[in-house]
Amino acid sequence: MTEERSSAESPVPGEDKKRLAAVIDMGATAIRMDIAEIESGGGVRRLESLRKSVPLGKDTFSTGRITQETIGQCIAVLKGFQSVMSEYGITDPGRVLAVATSAVREAANAESFRDRVYVATGINLKVVDEAEQNRLTFRAAQEVFAIKPDLAQADVLFAEVGGGSTELFLVRQGQVGFSNSYELGTLRMRETLQTYLTPTERVRRILGQHIGRAAETMKRDVPPVPSPVLVAMSGDAQFAASKISPSWPDESLLTLDFKTFSGFADKVIPLSAEKLVARYKVSYEEAETLGPGLFAYIILCRTFKVETILIPKTTFRDGLLREVASERSWSDAFAEEVVRQALALGRKYAIDEKHARFVSDMSGHIFRALRNEFHLDPRHELLLRVAGLLHEVGGFISNRSHHRHSMYLIQNSSIFGLSREDVALVALVARYHRRALPALSQPEYAALDRDRRIAVSKNAAILRVADALDRNHLQQISGPTIAVTKDELVITVEGAEDLTLERLALKEKGPLFEDVYGLKVVLREGGATGDGKRHAG
Amino acid sequence: MPADPTSFLNRELSWLAFNRRVLEEALDSGLPLLERLKFLAITGSNLDEFFMVRVGGLQQIAAQGRNKPDLGGFTPAALIKEIGHLTRQMVEDQQACLKDLEGRLAAAGIRRVKAGDLSPKEEAFVERLFSNEILPVLTPIAVSADRPFPVLAGLRVNLLVRFLPGAGAKEESRSAVVTLPKGLARFITLPAEDGYQFVLLEEVVARFAGLLAPGEAVLETVPFRVIRNADMAVGEDQAADLLAEMKEILVERKQSACVRLEVAENVSAAALGLLRDVLEAPADRVARLSGPLDLAAYARMAAMPGFEALKIEPWPPQPLPELEARGSIFEAVGRKDVLLFHPYDSFDPVERLVEEAAEDPDVLAIKQILYRTSEDSPIVASLIRAAEKEKHVTALVELKARFDEARNIEGALELERAGAQVIYGIRGLKTHAKVCIVVRREPAGVRRYVHFGTGNYNERTARLYSDVGYMTCREDYAADAAAFFNAITGLSQSLPYRKIESAPAGLKARLLELIENETERQKQGQKGLIRVKVNSLSEPDIIQALYRASQAGVEVLLNVRGICCLRPGVEGMSENISVVSIVDRYLEHSRILHFRNGGEDRVFISSADWMPRNLERRVELLVPVEDEACRKRLTAILDVFFQDNVKARRLQPDGSYVKVETPARKKAVRSQEFFALRSYAAARRADEDRAGDLVPVRPSPKKG
Repeated sequence: MTEERSSAESPVPGEDKKRLAAVIDMGATAIRMDIAEIESGGGVRRLESLRKSVPLGKDTFSTGRITQETIGQCIAVLKGFQSVMSEYGITDPGRVLAVATSAVREAANAESFRDRVYVATGINLKVVDEAEQNRLTFRAAQEVFAIKPDLAQADVLFAEVGGGSTELFLVRQGQVGFSNSYELGTLRMRETLQTYLTPTERVRRILGQHIGRAAETMKRDVPPVPSPVLVAMSGDAQFAASKISPSWPDESLLTLDFKTFSGFADKVIPLSAEKLVARYKVSYEEAETLGPGLFAYIILCRTFKVETILIPKTTFRDGLLREVASERSWSDAFAEEVVRQALALGRKYAIDEKHARFVSDMSGHIFRALRNEFHLDPRHELLLRVAGLLHEVGGFISNRSHHRHSMYLIQNSSIFGLSREDVALVALVARYHRRALPALSQPEYAALDRDRRIAVSKNAAILRVADALDRNHLQQISGPTIAVTKDELVITVEGAEDLTLERLALKEKGPLFEDVYGLKVVLREGGATGDGKRHAG
Repeated sequence: MPADPTSFLNRELSWLAFNRRVLEEALDSGLPLLERLKFLAITGSNLDEFFMVRVGGLQQIAAQGRNKPDLGGFTPAALIKEIGHLTRQMVEDQQACLKDLEGRLAAAGIRRVKAGDLSPKEEAFVERLFSNEILPVLTPIAVSADRPFPVLAGLRVNLLVRFLPGAGAKEESRSAVVTLPKGLARFITLPAEDGYQFVLLEEVVARFAGLLAPGEAVLETVPFRVIRNADMAVGEDQAADLLAEMKEILVERKQSACVRLEVAENVSAAALGLLRDVLEAPADRVARLSGPLDLAAYARMAAMPGFEALKIEPWPPQPLPELEARGSIFEAVGRKDVLLFHPYDSFDPVERLVEEAAEDPDVLAIKQILYRTSEDSPIVASLIRAAEKEKHVTALVELKARFDEARNIEGALELERAGAQVIYGIRGLKTHAKVCIVVRREPAGVRRYVHFGTGNYNERTARLYSDVGYMTCREDYAADAAAFFNAITGLSQSLPYRKIESAPAGLKARLLELIENETERQKQGQKGLIRVKVNSLSEPDIIQALYRASQAGVEVLLNVRGICCLRPGVEGMSENISVVSIVDRYLEHSRILHFRNGGEDRVFISSADWMPRNLERRVELLVPVEDEACRKRLTAILDVFFQDNVKARRLQPDGSYVKVETPARKKAVRSQEFFALRSYAAARRADEDRAGDLVPVRPSPKKG
């Protein structure tokens, strides 16, 4: 307490670049908002948390559509939230990151829902896909490592059993060993299994079977790991924590043994929603998912032989706040994790790892040289690096037209941390690393909007140049200087023996670059640089 | 433990016992005369309110034939009877007290002259006054048993005037009712050479009643007063617009059933019969008074200018030394938490908080709950100014604050016009919590300043009620206060709080937990101690928890000003509980809780009394005070309250109260005086400490 105050009293001189932001999570049972102050260093200070129940999941999971009534309700809730935002001067909808998950995503009228929300509130609701949701959840999960650094030495299974889906990660020794999103959701169970119409004694059996099946699938997917620590991240788990340990509110992380947790869950699971509301003063929406939620954790613990459960205060919104804090670019640690995962995928397809790394790094190098001049989106650097790593995975199928094979192999893979849209972009960039130039006659390319088509061209152009620089897969070029002049991209290589092959390759692969950036690619030996140097990378 | 009727004291009887303690102050010959008159007036308005909000409801329940005994073992009918008995006694004592005071006041220069005793000169004066100023605003309404009786507003003094029957023998006597208009003074000042002489308005009207119907002779004039049932639960679920509904209630209140009819003792059988008939008042609702009606009106006389010798010495509120330094209230609260103990500490800082917030360009938003504000409230004015400056002002204006509805509606509309967001209470719940949040953008980030209080944001009552307030900008409290506001304004569901607790959600459970915690500690061999100061204690679960604590050996010290249904000092049940009540010049109104907690004291302030309605049907707050200095100040305040041996009365197992005796050779401690002197001393010390500054001369409190 006093620490907080003293730090607030002595601001770092000249560092008042704090901005206020709001993040909104439209989940299956409720809309939640956090308002936070984001420090220029990326620190996040939460000021307000709001929650309002809405039956989005109830609508979607039972009828496939969001009813007009619920749409109206959501808009009313958002307008109320906006009044709190305005108290903090957040009036520009651009400072609001609003995300909707499965309950909106799976609704047949998701698009018109988005539009209605936009028209009524100006809030641009982002309906995230499973992979994006998974990635954002992981961002939140990273908070837990910050709170408890020694977790980095352990095998940790993160599970967030939400209303519509379950996000699962395995982090071994600080590295993501697995991640996926499953259609196991507390509200989805209630709605699809219609447990509310079923006698209580049967509910437990039905839920048990259902969760058990999902858990078995997870067990098959996740690499074998003996008795990991489970981090349970959801409102239901937090509720359990608050009841098991009255001091939990003051701590950020509660550690429980399985017995304590299941002992509490066994008391709660048989209770009807009415009883839960009366006993614990929770809302009906919370009460309805509490039983299935705790039950799911119990079964996960049994399936993975978990003995220790950690319950953090972290929520999905922490992931959103981190996202905002990093200006929606990816942190270095996160980018490294993505690269690691992409490499693992590449190894599956027996790529030439040295070449792949070379192309990836060189692409990044060129990208950074061009970034400011050509207003490149920082996020695309990571996508380009991933494309560099994976551009030759198609060789696993056949060397003929391997770029085409690369495209569909990548398209059908999930890469940790990347949304499906991101993966599609990576796939297309890889596809264009050789041969045909991007053209609207190609359906996958034509399916993209203009901005993304341009992004593909910009990245593919760089990738081709990088690939050309290692034509013979011997990585002869190392530590080049890259400079942008008025009309050239000058790559200067110190002490290279013979660049003939690379020059030839550039001739073949350079034209796209020239088309896109209006720069001729020039490869030079020795220290001489081009005239009129404008930028060095 | 089963709810044994003998475990609980009856709520209504306990309330009457409280009013008796107030009456004892009026009877206290050690007090100045006008102070005694003030207390007498308070007993009058208290009794009126008691009939309006409690007895009316009881009569309705009894009329419905319900006869389930309450916790104290009384059926509604039996209770009404007992109340009747006790209030008759009380009214007699009030009248005797007034008679006694009138005699003493006359000797001191304040004389009531009966209309029949006016000198010719005075008579002429009064007649002129009557013709010119009184008669034009009187509206006599003819009444008889067979025509609809006019609707008479409750609490006002009326005059029934009966005229002599006309010449025709078969003609009945005609009657009229005159309500004494609100705009006229009840006490009419007579010219006097020294001192103050007055005559009662109703006597003047009676004296000249003949002028009401020229040509008719007056047979009889009878002052009377109707007390109506005001215990109307607002039918919240039916009506959509709470504001419109409250306006209706104000109208309805004028029309509801007659709970009590007060008439002058010398009323004739015929006149009383007529009144009872038209007001539908059974005999047991009639009170015959030997002296003037409506003692509450004497409050005005007690406060009249002059006659300082007959009044108490004032104890002026003092500035809090730590806030006295120049600079803004934000800076002061930013430095450290501030605890305010009103009225010893001035209420200014609270007003300043809102005032500075309205003017400060860095303030983004102000949110506040307004329960009972004063007319021309400076706080409301500041909020309006803030809204006009386009700050985000949110005010929850509780329209349901009993008897203050009219004023509340007005203030709310004015705020709305200025652009503030005004919320008219919460459906089904009265918002009784007192909290104000100021959101301010500072170089180090957004900071929120919070004020929690036990009393209303009303600078007038803050001079008369003893309350505490706590100002802080600690993050946890700010977040809680913001979340609390989001919950009561309906923007969010309530989420778990970090520090505070609110009713109706978790406050009662938290209190029980805190009490059980002491019990458990005592059982495990620690020394348990619970000290609580509240206005009323009637919540049965809490009482039983306290009994369990007592049985475990926890020392329970309660300071309950008003109703207390807990029966203390009963062997085997409550022998470790003692209850005292303090009635002194300031209305004891603060709620302070202290639990020993194994040596790590837990101290809270709260807006809630320990009554079912507060804990279940009101929005209330319980706020822990963790700042060491503030916490220590609160425990020290409690120490003094429990040492009071001048104005404290101890509750006996039989429900009666006995004055705490000052033990021989021990110092007399009068808590309120102690606080007044101490805050004065602190302010003066601070003045002296400011070396080089000019020292302002402050009016000093004198022993009262």
